[in-house]
Amino acid sequence: MNRISPNFCKVELFFNLLKSNLHTTGPQQAWAKSDLPKTFLTFNKKIYPPQEIGEEPRPAFVCHQKTNIKYSPEKLWYVASLVRGMTVDEAIKQLSFVNKKGAVFVKEAILEAQKLAVTEHNVEFKSNLWIAESFSGKGMVIKGIRRHARGRIGEVRYQYSHYFVRLEEGKPPLDYYKRNPLTPQQQLDKWLESMRKRKIINSY
Amino acid sequence: MANSILTKISPLWKLPSSTLIQPSRSTTSKHFNPKYKKHRAQKYLKIDLPDTNEDDSKLSPEKMRQKMKERGLMPPRPWMERPFYISATGGVFEGYVPPEGDGKASLVSTTRAKQTVQLLEKKSKSMMAIRKIKSYDEDFDSKEFCNEAQNIYIKAHESLANNDKYALRKYVTEKAYPEFRHNSLLKTIRWKFLDSLEPPRVVHARCTDIVSKENIFAQVTVRFHTRQQLAVYDRFGRLIHGSEIVAKDVLEYIVFEKHLSNLYGTWRIHDKIIPDWAPPKDPSKLTRLKPEPEPVSVVVEEEVEQPAIADK
Repeated sequence: MNRISPNFCKVELFFNLLKSNLHTTGPQQAWAKSDLPKTFLTFNKKIYPPQEIGEEPRPAFVCHQKTNIKYSPEKLWYVASLVRGMTVDEAIKQLSFVNKKGAVFVKEAILEAQKLAVTEHNVEFKSNLWIAESFSGKGMVIKGIRRHARGRIGEVRYQYSHYFVRLEEGKPPLDYYKRNPLTPQQQLDKWLESMRKRKIINSY
Repeated sequence: MANSILTKISPLWKLPSSTLIQPSRSTTSKHFNPKYKKHRAQKYLKIDLPDTNEDDSKLSPEKMRQKMKERGLMPPRPWMERPFYISATGGVFEGYVPPEGDGKASLVSTTRAKQTVQLLEKKSKSMMAIRKIKSYDEDFDSKEFCNEAQNIYIKAHESLANNDKYALRKYVTEKAYPEFRHNSLLKTIRWKFLDSLEPPRVVHARCTDIVSKENIFAQVTVRFHTRQQLAVYDRFGRLIHGSEIVAKDVLEYIVFEKHLSNLYGTWRIHDKIIPDWAPPKDPSKLTRLKPEPEPVSVVVEEEVEQPAIADK
């Protein structure tokens, strides 16, 4: 039902609104094509060539998505960007105490992805994963009606979003967002270097 | 409502002072006058939003039928119009039982010599089956068939390693196809056939008929003693089984099947007979979490108190 549900929902609502008057066929009938995002999950099917003996072992990754979450994509973005660059355990710990509806969905998605990684993608330790990519996308939007003063009509958008997460095996990078890229000593050295690089033009 | 006098009159208001030290709120909203909430809700048209992440498998069939009716969908067809054709049997009929210690004795011992000279002519049922095969297939010869069987075996494994599904279907029956491809998805398999330690030998043959007397299938068991190399890599190119350098001696009893009544039937790998005395397989390099032991419920017997007075 989930893979074709957006189109069914539109049919259902169409009928809801025009119940009494018209008997028309809906915009899409049985076995309409699903418009759920598919390309993100194709990364899970990519097979890498066998590695030589001396090479560093390639870290395993798993891509997972949760589609048509009844939540605004802009609000979900805040939760998605909180989790980026954290280890899976840390992310779950933090999400358990984030006071947002989206945190529940993100936590479920991460737990599902962790389970998939262990069962299908040959990840040895389920805690040895970190969140490499985590972002939200716009899902379907169902338009409703509200009334304003003076006989005016307004539109209400019931928004759905998709959530995508990619877990990678190994230790997370020290600072994913590069909040403190340079220490004070490094900043001083950089400034000195830029000062010394200056040249008076047309001179030796 | 939270700040009204009515709540303060109720007896619950008379709580001990210790609980009133921590500031707490009984409602979540701070709106100073929430009396227009109902009016605001009435401005919006109520819409039934669909539950997109509902699990289809958890719905009962009655609920599913109701949902499909609501959407104006026809139920699925209760019968199957697609005919099916039996092109391979479901198993091995009267399977070969390999003698214990086959191929284990040293090459120079007498037991080994005896094993190599085991004639198929002494097994009457197998000879009858081979005669039946020859009645359909004039050019059938046990010795030539052995070489043909080895070629089919090598080609089947090579097409599995190359992930060539169409070629695999030609060398493997429908029953054995899922068993061949099991657990090989999203993996790279490197298989090499080095050489044959002993020439392949037909050890068993049987013929069976399915459904009607004329529909005959022949099953011939061939014994292979070969040296092979196998290396399996996971999706990311990391070695998970076998090795690129080490070769292994493999003693196998492969059942080949052919649909004799079918003009276009070919000999294909059908099954493998694994004897009870076969050596255990190499342990896998993959690890699993040991499941937690189930909590043992301790039944506490309640001691029935015997009353001091007998009649109670």
